[in-house]
Amino acid sequence: MATKLSETETITPVAQPKKARQKSANITERWMLMPSVILLAIISFIPLFYMIYSSFMNYMINPDQPTFYHFHNWAVTFHDSAFWLSWGRTATYAISGLVLEFLLGTALALAIYRLPWGQNIVTTIWMLPLFVAPIVTGLLGRFLVNSTYGLYAWVLQLLGVHTEILGNTLTAMPALILMDMWEWTPLITIIVLAGLQAMPEEPLEAADVDGAHYWDKLRYVILPLIARPLLVAVLVRSMDILRYVDTIMITTEGGPADATKTIGYYLVQIAFQFQDFGRAAAVGLTMLVITILIGQLFVRAFTRGEQQ
Amino acid sequence: MNNTAVATKRHASLSLILVYIFVVLALIWAVVPLIWMILSSLKTQAGMFSMPPKFFFKPTFQTYHIMFSSTGHFGHYLLNSVLASVGSTLISLVLGTLGGWAIARGNFKREKDISFWVISTRMAPIPAVMLPLYLLFSKLGLIGTMVGLIFAYTTFNLPFALWIMMTFFKDIPPALEEAAMVDGCTKFRAFYRVTLPMAAPGLVATGILCLMFAWNDYAFASVFTSTASQTVPVAASLLVSQQGIQWGQAMSTGTVIMAPMVIAGLFVRKYLVRGLSMGAVK
Amino acid sequence: MKSKRLTLAASAVLGTTLLVAGCGNTSGNASSGSNTTSSKVDASQQIAAPFQGAVAGLPQITAPKGFNWKQYSGTTLNMITENTPPSSALAENIKEFEDVTGITVNIEQADLSTVAQKVALDFQAKSDKYQLIYADPYQMLAKYSYDYLDLNQFINDKSLPPVPGGLSDFIQSQLMVDGYMGTKDHLYALPYDTPTMVLVYRKDIFDNPKYKSLFQKENGFDWTPGPNLTWEKYLTIEKWINKEVKAGVITGVQYGAGEQAKEYDSLQCDFSDVLAAYGGDYFSAPNLGSIGTTTPGKSLMDSKQAIAAATIYKQIVDNAAPGSTSWDWNGLGEAFAAGDVAMAPEWHEFASTFENPSKSKVAGNVGYAILPKGPVRSANIFGGTGLAISKYATPEQQKAAWLFEVWATSPQAQYMILKSKDGGETPTRTSVYNLPEIQKGMTPGTPESKAMPNLLSMNATLQAWKAQNVYMRPKIPQWPQVDNIVFTQLSDMLANKQTPAQAMQNIATQSNQVTGN
Repeated sequence: MATKLSETETITPVAQPKKARQKSANITERWMLMPSVILLAIISFIPLFYMIYSSFMNYMINPDQPTFYHFHNWAVTFHDSAFWLSWGRTATYAISGLVLEFLLGTALALAIYRLPWGQNIVTTIWMLPLFVAPIVTGLLGRFLVNSTYGLYAWVLQLLGVHTEILGNTLTAMPALILMDMWEWTPLITIIVLAGLQAMPEEPLEAADVDGAHYWDKLRYVILPLIARPLLVAVLVRSMDILRYVDTIMITTEGGPADATKTIGYYLVQIAFQFQDFGRAAAVGLTMLVITILIGQLFVRAFTRGEQQ
Repeated sequence: MNNTAVATKRHASLSLILVYIFVVLALIWAVVPLIWMILSSLKTQAGMFSMPPKFFFKPTFQTYHIMFSSTGHFGHYLLNSVLASVGSTLISLVLGTLGGWAIARGNFKREKDISFWVISTRMAPIPAVMLPLYLLFSKLGLIGTMVGLIFAYTTFNLPFALWIMMTFFKDIPPALEEAAMVDGCTKFRAFYRVTLPMAAPGLVATGILCLMFAWNDYAFASVFTSTASQTVPVAASLLVSQQGIQWGQAMSTGTVIMAPMVIAGLFVRKYLVRGLSMGAVK
Repeated sequence: MKSKRLTLAASAVLGTTLLVAGCGNTSGNASSGSNTTSSKVDASQQIAAPFQGAVAGLPQITAPKGFNWKQYSGTTLNMITENTPPSSALAENIKEFEDVTGITVNIEQADLSTVAQKVALDFQAKSDKYQLIYADPYQMLAKYSYDYLDLNQFINDKSLPPVPGGLSDFIQSQLMVDGYMGTKDHLYALPYDTPTMVLVYRKDIFDNPKYKSLFQKENGFDWTPGPNLTWEKYLTIEKWINKEVKAGVITGVQYGAGEQAKEYDSLQCDFSDVLAAYGGDYFSAPNLGSIGTTTPGKSLMDSKQAIAAATIYKQIVDNAAPGSTSWDWNGLGEAFAAGDVAMAPEWHEFASTFENPSKSKVAGNVGYAILPKGPVRSANIFGGTGLAISKYATPEQQKAAWLFEVWATSPQAQYMILKSKDGGETPTRTSVYNLPEIQKGMTPGTPESKAMPNLLSMNATLQAWKAQNVYMRPKIPQWPQVDNIVFTQLSDMLANKQTPAQAMQNIATQSNQVTGN
């Protein structure tokens, strides 16, 4: 978290008296935080403890009366090669998705910023996919690449490519990554663009003769300005890319040949198709731990970056 | 004009052309699916499936007509979506703003841990927490109710709102509040009168994103709703039935799901952009 | 979420839970029906029920003399069902039931996996949210049979309306699959819908004399689909059409065949047809597919028959339209309706889509036949479902639900569903098929067939339902996992990641792990 630096940086003159007053005055803050904490505690602790409990129970013989199962669910989970393969595919999906979204989003923000006119209208149009529900994105993607009547499939056929994009092990995953990019790249763009537009003086294009200067500026001036919203965006996106499977559910359902079975979809199958709540809890807890680790990583990296 | 200047200028205009091409390509990639969705929603079933695709045709509003006819219940689903997403957004914004400010200003010993815990409550894998949440909701009689759905959406919107508002508040110098308090304001009043207005763009941006997350949700709505409380994305998913996908309906439903968000987004675009760069704008 | 960080007011959490519970909104299902007892009921005399739409020639809905159809007036029932045509048809006509009984029925529709998920969660919560459940035999009946009410208690209760026409009017093989689990001691559900896989083909291609004689000359046999077609011949025809389409000889289609080989339930169904035709099956236990069992025995998937079936199935998909590996039954249905493929195994109720000119380019040109046979038989997989009542409903809701069940599965309701405007579903009742009007509808070109297009596939489907032709997949509690293993391994095989023999061996090994053998 970025607290230390920002406090010392912004409130140095008044910091001392504030701290002195803190002990008693923290009461207000406590009361203001209380409702959120209670609500969040309900929705996080109850499920968490229940998941820990379930992960040691067997729901498969009689789901109504689960019996104690030792570490069986955990053992099955860690011995299942599909579990590890799903994590591998998740890494591909999440990392390539996020990196591409970041690069394309930033590049487009820089490009839009260079436009002499029409920045607003271009941004507005570019932002539109952001408002499409993921489930509609999936439906739309499926509609566009269907070889029988899809617009994109038709274009590809004109170019001589005759393949069923979502039915081919090589193309299904890239297609899903592209759907995710279509929807979420605009978020990165508007954040970066906001940073650029908020830049004081010295318009960026004046500097672009000097390439190094340009990148330095991006790195040391603009990036710190937008670091916080960017962190939120990337953190929330990486969380959601792991746990949301709306698009996969409506398009490939993990296929073909498991090519798009991410850990999120693997969990959907265990929880909803097999209704094996015990194993689902074990898988879910594993995912939670990994997500928390990733979150910590982002926050640490961010804090370090800001302190530089 | 000397040579370098000419070269620079040429270089600049060339790169500007590249920029134009890049932007135009990006816009095409962004809007073609949307335009195609809207066009397809205006086609007859046979027209949708024609290969090569038809770009010019006589539009029909049949799918929209079916959607809003009495058997469609679509207006009802739309209302549910509005209630659930607006409700959860309001709760999340109010609680998130209070909590976010409290964490940003308060001198909590384990501040880092608290704030990370807040965001971590949004990380739970949905299928795994579905059973405990369902049991909890069932005990509280919330399954299939609007209150239940609002509560469900708050599970992902509140941590988000709290966290992002916290980062915004950290960027607003507390000195102004301190000054107000010296003038005799209570701490809460200082927050309310001085800091909150400054955070307005951030608040709007957060609100829009919360609204979007809730409006577009499928995972929670598909389990926690029943016929009476169904939302629009669930209605969209129902068009994939055992006897084929009703593509015409799917396209018009998709258009209708998107439209309110787009309109809302356009109206507050400026705030959204400014809000997301709170740090930069201050 | 490390626990030491969670010092935040655990007791407050509990306190609030109770608080919130206090304001909890109840979903309003609580019934408030009148307490009229049916004390003056004379079971020896059956009186026709006051429902609209009785059809001459069909068994009527009746009740014992003195039975008060309005005694559960004010009760609200929630039914959860897959979003299928019969459910829509019932929802459209629900007023007929509500007017007579005063019971309100909310029909909630969702896709099958959501239905399974909601039902499972609801059983876990032991809630009475859903009283009427679309109990898919494989996902919801085998595993949760003890959560349903034994309907025999109503059938044996002479003061209640009986099953119109009796249980014997249901198609018997379907009653076994949809209704029982493990033994015939308890009846959990009454048959409600009937999708069955048959072969759909393009008559304009197969009856074209030029194509037909060309094929006969080159391959030495008549290609007309029907009881003589084998999967080997199917493969030959498929390849030949592909070749002739490329050569420009055949026009009007793009590929010989299409399959529903998406990594999904549809792939397992599509393959099961071939598997059973080659004499294979998934497990060794008797009654595996009919009344079902909790002990399926050893997997038979490493058998010679299974490997032979997988080998030819792979060739069939390899030569099918390339979209096949991304199509479930919907995708395949769309491709067939668009005129892309000449033949395909498909659920018979797709007939209403194929025969609808606004949805299909091939309307009027579609032929239906039972599926090709293998060395052993023709096997047509059945995918029907029954309607069950939840054990967690209140006694009053249970009886109200029984009235609904009697009405919804009655011959006249089945007839109504068949005639509904979306094409509906084909009935579960023998008596309906015996009506002259329905018989006429099975012949193409008759006005009855125009009104009830689903009937066009019924000649083939009635053939498919015969004991020697129908295939019922294993009805075991572990089926969802086994199904997943089957379609995952098959999908790997189709993507050339493993040979048919390896795929079958993997299915056998993993199925045995799941079933504990």
